[in-house]
Amino acid sequence: MDNPYVPRPYKVLSSARETADTFTMTVGMAVLHSPGQFVQVSVPGYGEAPISICSDSRKEIKLNIRQVGAVTNALAGLKKGETVLLRGPYGKGYPMKKLNGKDIVIVGGGCGVAPLKGLIDYVENHRKDFGQVSMFLGYRSPDDIIFKKELAGWKKKYSINVTVDKKGNTKSCIDAREGFVTDALGETDIRADKSAAMICGPPIMMKGSIGILKSKGFRDKQIFVSTERLMYCAMGVCCHCMIRGKFTCLDGPVFRYDEIMDIENG
Amino acid sequence: MEVLLLKKERLNGFIEKLQQDFEVIAPLKGDVIRFLPLKNPDDIFLGKNAYFPIKEYFFKKNEVLFQFNGTKIIVPELPSKKRAFFGLRRCDLNAIKHQDMVFMNDIHDPYYTAARKDSYLIGYHCNTAPSPYCFCGSLELADYFDLMVYDKKDDFLVEIGSSKGKGMAKKYASLFSKTSKKISEEEKKIPGSDRLEKKDISLFYNNSDWKKGTDLCLSCGACTALCPTCYCFETHDEVKTSNINEGERKRNWSSCQLQEFTRVAGEHVYRKDREERFKHRIFHQLEYFKEKHKVPLCVGCGRCIEGCPTRIDFVDILNNMKVENG
Ligand code: SF4
Ligand code: SF4
Repeated sequence: MDNPYVPRPYKVLSSARETADTFTMTVGMAVLHSPGQFVQVSVPGYGEAPISICSDSRKEIKLNIRQVGAVTNALAGLKKGETVLLRGPYGKGYPMKKLNGKDIVIVGGGCGVAPLKGLIDYVENHRKDFGQVSMFLGYRSPDDIIFKKELAGWKKKYSINVTVDKKGNTKSCIDAREGFVTDALGETDIRADKSAAMICGPPIMMKGSIGILKSKGFRDKQIFVSTERLMYCAMGVCCHCMIRGKFTCLDGPVFRYDEIMDIENG
Repeated sequence: MEVLLLKKERLNGFIEKLQQDFEVIAPLKGDVIRFLPLKNPDDIFLGKNAYFPIKEYFFKKNEVLFQFNGTKIIVPELPSKKRAFFGLRRCDLNAIKHQDMVFMNDIHDPYYTAARKDSYLIGYHCNTAPSPYCFCGSLELADYFDLMVYDKKDDFLVEIGSSKGKGMAKKYASLFSKTSKKISEEEKKIPGSDRLEKKDISLFYNNSDWKKGTDLCLSCGACTALCPTCYCFETHDEVKTSNINEGERKRNWSSCQLQEFTRVAGEHVYRKDREERFKHRIFHQLEYFKEKHKVPLCVGCGRCIEGCPTRIDFVDILNNMKVENG
């Protein structure tokens, strides 16, 4: 029987910088997966880290990685043609089939945009299954905007709101307003009745966004949150990722909001 | 289930026979009582339950998951050893049952399975609760043994609980005698072991009394290390100083009572307060595991209380909780 702890080797097809501390790696892993799922990436000597898949293809997977620790920094050093060790995909993603016909509201903060990018790609690949798409994406500064290239494309098709905490004096071709993503969300007219909202970002931003959506008439069942937790096994055993009795790695990382509620202390 | 009789003076003979076929692990008394490889059958200590949890033999404190050299991975051989465990209490046996559910049913863990496969479990039934902290009688424990030894006044009665147990009874048949006695469910109840009064703790999630326990908590993690059912772990890589491309990925026990347990990038910690972490442990033991596996994880052994340096007794805390309004 297969040893579930052992990662397998895959080829790095490309690795491209997004911002000063993030990059996107394309890996030759051909695997069925749903948006919101993740893989465990290993760098021997450094350890493992869960990384969400930010693409929607059966031929390869894209991983947007922020350099925040030993593993992710080591991954930044991997070049095209080299080997990366992976296991997965794991977790429950967005229930896309159940959302057919719905308007999609996407709310992302910082590197929380990465898991949502997989969802956006899926919507693009199944465009006729969904209604209007509106995005609210917030970053610290223009320099922190990930997927700049893709963003230009999304602008043409969807309603996009990009905010930055501080504009600074860097010139950016992205048209972003200063403020928080929650401000942009609050000011916009979005109709709750036939929508589903997907949120991913820092805890405070998720909390704020959920509050605003609810004030606009969204019910808990229409809100999907993608959670981030420390995890080791990704198989529902090590217990580090528990939110009350739920496992982020098995029952999540995407939860319908009414399934978890107490994200912070549960 | 089938019951045999073992004369008291034959116990050592039985253990010696076992020693010919198995490595025998039994409770020994040193600074504390702990299950250790047995040399002399006279050393077995049955006066009290063991302080250390039996899990250290299956879900090891330290396990090498694999060796690596660059991106090449080598999984170590996982030989399984014929071992007989003697003197396991009902709580110990149920703790093994619950960890079996996790490591051999929820997932197929090759390390745990190898250690567990050729293990023979021989229990020793408590006639009364050996420690003031025991509360196994308040929980839903099951029969889970190959053989169970009941200490009756004149003799031991030995109940067969599995095909492995049957095999042992056959192999050592000359030591046992036939008996018409049976072990009733009533006899399996252990006097003094039902001090947990609350059956459903879900009503107490927001109770203010969780504070009572945690004001004394030192976040030392003794409770989770000593608990025979706690199965949380972490993994990390260790490299050779001579060649940093070579090394091992290891698995270690970890504790939900420490902030490190949930710390993510940006120094964010979930369940930041001791109170939340304490409550999480008790809810995992009594509620969350049950939601998925139909039985509570906790087996009521009381080790997490006995081994706590400030003796936080979650059973007392729960017993005193009142339903609050709002
Ligand atoms: S939680 Fe405490 S009483 Fe329950 S099994 Fe673990 S150590 Fe024993
Ligand atoms: S918890 Fe029950 S089985 Fe375990 S030592 Fe105490 S009385 Fe015996």
